[in-house]
Amino acid sequence: MARQQGWFALILALAIAAGALLASFPLQLGLDLRGGSQLTLQVLPAGAVKSVQKEQLDAVKEVLDRRINGLGVAESTLQTVGDDQLVLQLPGEQDPSRAAAVLGTTALLEFRAQKPGTEQQMQGLLRLKRQAQAVLNQKKAKAAQADPTGQPEPAQPQVTIKAEELAASLASLGIQVPPGSSEADQLDLLLKAVNTRIVELYEPAQLTGKDLTTAGRQQQQTGTGWDVTLSFNREGGVKFAQLTQGIAGTDRLLGIVLDGRSISEASVGPEFKAAGISGGSASITGNFSAEEARDLEVQLRGGSLPLPVKIVEVRTVGPSLGADNIRTSLAAALSGLFLVAVFMLVVYRLAGVVAVLALSLYGLFNLAVYALIPVTLTLPGIAGFILSLGMAVDANVLIFERIKEELRSGNTLIRSIDTGFSLAFSSILDGQVTTLISCVALFALGTGFVKGFAVTLGIGVLLSLFSALTCTRTLLRVLMSYPALRQISYFIPVSQRSEGIA
Amino acid sequence: MANPSVIAQSANGRTGLFAFRVNRHRRQLWLLSSVAIVLSLLGMAISWLSPSIRAPLRPGLDFTGGTQIQIERLCEPSCADLKLGSLEASLRTLKLPSAEGEPAPALSAAAVQLLDGGRSVVMRLPSLSPDQAELVLNTIGPVVGETVPGDLSVDTIGPTLGAQLLKASLLSLLVSFVGISLYITFRYDRVYALLALLCLAHDVLITCGLFAWLGLVFGVEVNSLFAVALLTIAGYSVNDTVVIFDRIREKRNELKELPLADQSDEAVISTLTRSVYTSLTTLLPLIALIFFGGSTLFWFAIALSFGIVIGAWSSIAVAPTLLPVLSRR
Repeated sequence: MARQQGWFALILALAIAAGALLASFPLQLGLDLRGGSQLTLQVLPAGAVKSVQKEQLDAVKEVLDRRINGLGVAESTLQTVGDDQLVLQLPGEQDPSRAAAVLGTTALLEFRAQKPGTEQQMQGLLRLKRQAQAVLNQKKAKAAQADPTGQPEPAQPQVTIKAEELAASLASLGIQVPPGSSEADQLDLLLKAVNTRIVELYEPAQLTGKDLTTAGRQQQQTGTGWDVTLSFNREGGVKFAQLTQGIAGTDRLLGIVLDGRSISEASVGPEFKAAGISGGSASITGNFSAEEARDLEVQLRGGSLPLPVKIVEVRTVGPSLGADNIRTSLAAALSGLFLVAVFMLVVYRLAGVVAVLALSLYGLFNLAVYALIPVTLTLPGIAGFILSLGMAVDANVLIFERIKEELRSGNTLIRSIDTGFSLAFSSILDGQVTTLISCVALFALGTGFVKGFAVTLGIGVLLSLFSALTCTRTLLRVLMSYPALRQISYFIPVSQRSEGIA
Repeated sequence: MANPSVIAQSANGRTGLFAFRVNRHRRQLWLLSSVAIVLSLLGMAISWLSPSIRAPLRPGLDFTGGTQIQIERLCEPSCADLKLGSLEASLRTLKLPSAEGEPAPALSAAAVQLLDGGRSVVMRLPSLSPDQAELVLNTIGPVVGETVPGDLSVDTIGPTLGAQLLKASLLSLLVSFVGISLYITFRYDRVYALLALLCLAHDVLITCGLFAWLGLVFGVEVNSLFAVALLTIAGYSVNDTVVIFDRIREKRNELKELPLADQSDEAVISTLTRSVYTSLTTLLPLIALIFFGGSTLFWFAIALSFGIVIGAWSSIAVAPTLLPVLSRR
């Protein structure tokens, strides 16, 4: 008896600890339950790297982590998945498209000097670039005003580009225009082609974003745009001075190239002929909007990605869609469990009371373990929990059926209970071990949702062994220490017993 | 058959109603299972041949890739009229900018559905970048009218992701099959392991068959939750079968003089109450989910409930009746 009381005290202590744990560590709900968005990024092999290695994946993650921190999104998590994927979770109503734009670019910044003897070509390209840019900007401004909330259009000097002029420029750059594309599309294409052509006119990069110590942004003193400011480390400062010295006073330009696109071209005045631009800082005048400047700053500060990434999945669930889901499903599941409790009470009487108690403890322990590890609860995770709960109930049913059988064949109550537990044990064990084997396989080899399922199922199976074999048994034994409860009619109808004796 | 009448009597005396001897009726039981399997295979074959599906089951977004946008409309007091045609027309006129150097997808193939009496709009589009998806939302905004703030979901799945998911799930299932059969071989016998896997395949196949037909008739799609349901059914099936095996092993020691068929029958009779009760208690929360749960879990709960019923069936009617046949060889 003392042993039973010891177990009973242990179960009680565990229950209290579980309750306290749940009160202090709230359960973590997955995005499918509380709403938010999830981006999956695939790291692509590039250049000499044929397949993505663990270190490279970690390096990419480090850079992306810095960018995410720079963006200031709340409670986001970035995790590596498998060999070459990263999953970013943004809870709540945060716009995934901006995060996608900031995370998806390599952000390789290069400073390159123009090749000698290409001045003519460069000027033509720059003229084209300015023209296309001006028309596009104007179109954008118009589109913004066409918004119903917009202000009436102020008078502005019209910039236009003639259709045949545009076609001629496109043809001269060898661009195939898809039929039926709008003027804006064509201008976009032109601009892209011009920017890559400009890059071809530069010498290879001597200075890259690696030598940056920090980046910032400031509003232009004239105009409404923003500049992005850069500070180099010592080595970078020296390289920058050399680079600018080389082209100072010539017509050659200094190009700032981001991800293979020229974002800014600057001339260096003759006054820097002697020592170059020293001091280790520079600014990019790209006529950025405030948001563009901030995003670029975040990317440059975070450093460039060692490998390019591609966004392969975006999932968004509105928070109230998630909340609705969990509320109705939770209510349904709880009412179902209530029916199970009623069923157990009707069929197994006093043992049913014990089972309901043990299963409530089982649910409590499960939740406490989720909070402790912590396990993020998702819909597949809840499915795993439901299955493990079904198995926990099954374990109780197996034991009680055995007890009933023993009682029917005329055994005494205490003896029936002991035999029931020992006979049911092997089948419970076999069922749980096979389930655990699948859990391990699913967890080790499965992805995302399969893992979530395997974790909750595995925890549930381990706990149900404890619940069925220890909690149920101890509670039943403790109840049996009261002589008033030690009556066979509390377990089976008396009518069934006589057969066994006869 | 040493003394069948005595056994039948003892069984009858014990459990009355449940004294059904499965091995006596095994041909009928096998016929039922075979018909279900043939129907399932037929459903999947038709589904495979149907030009709009081209797969054994109608694959959802998780497996095909693409973008799905779901919008909940504000319906207080009643929904403003919404014509599918005007929605589709506004999509068709929309020209998307290209993203990341890839050509912009055409929206002419977009599929638009109205659910819950026009309360929610579901659009299935080719894979869109976040910018493009926002453009689509802005375009259809005026057509759809007022929406419930916060109730918007935009899912984009890359085309290779579905294949990856399928591969990982199948591989992990395969490994767990091997592990389970090793364990059962170790604890019981090779034949038992084979039977457990046969039952498992039976349960998963027939559940897939049901969803193949649901896909054909009602357009029900399978998503990753369906895959979770199959995993759950697989776990349940093995657990259910193993309990009966345990009892058969016990009966073989208890009733040594009887043939295996009778030993199996006895085991089924003694565990039948347990099988029915366990299935019932597992079904109760699922049935509650079907009738009162959220819409996302509806088909999931259907798949699980069906799989549990089939799992109980196979552990009662298939495993104990095949065991004597396979053990003889």
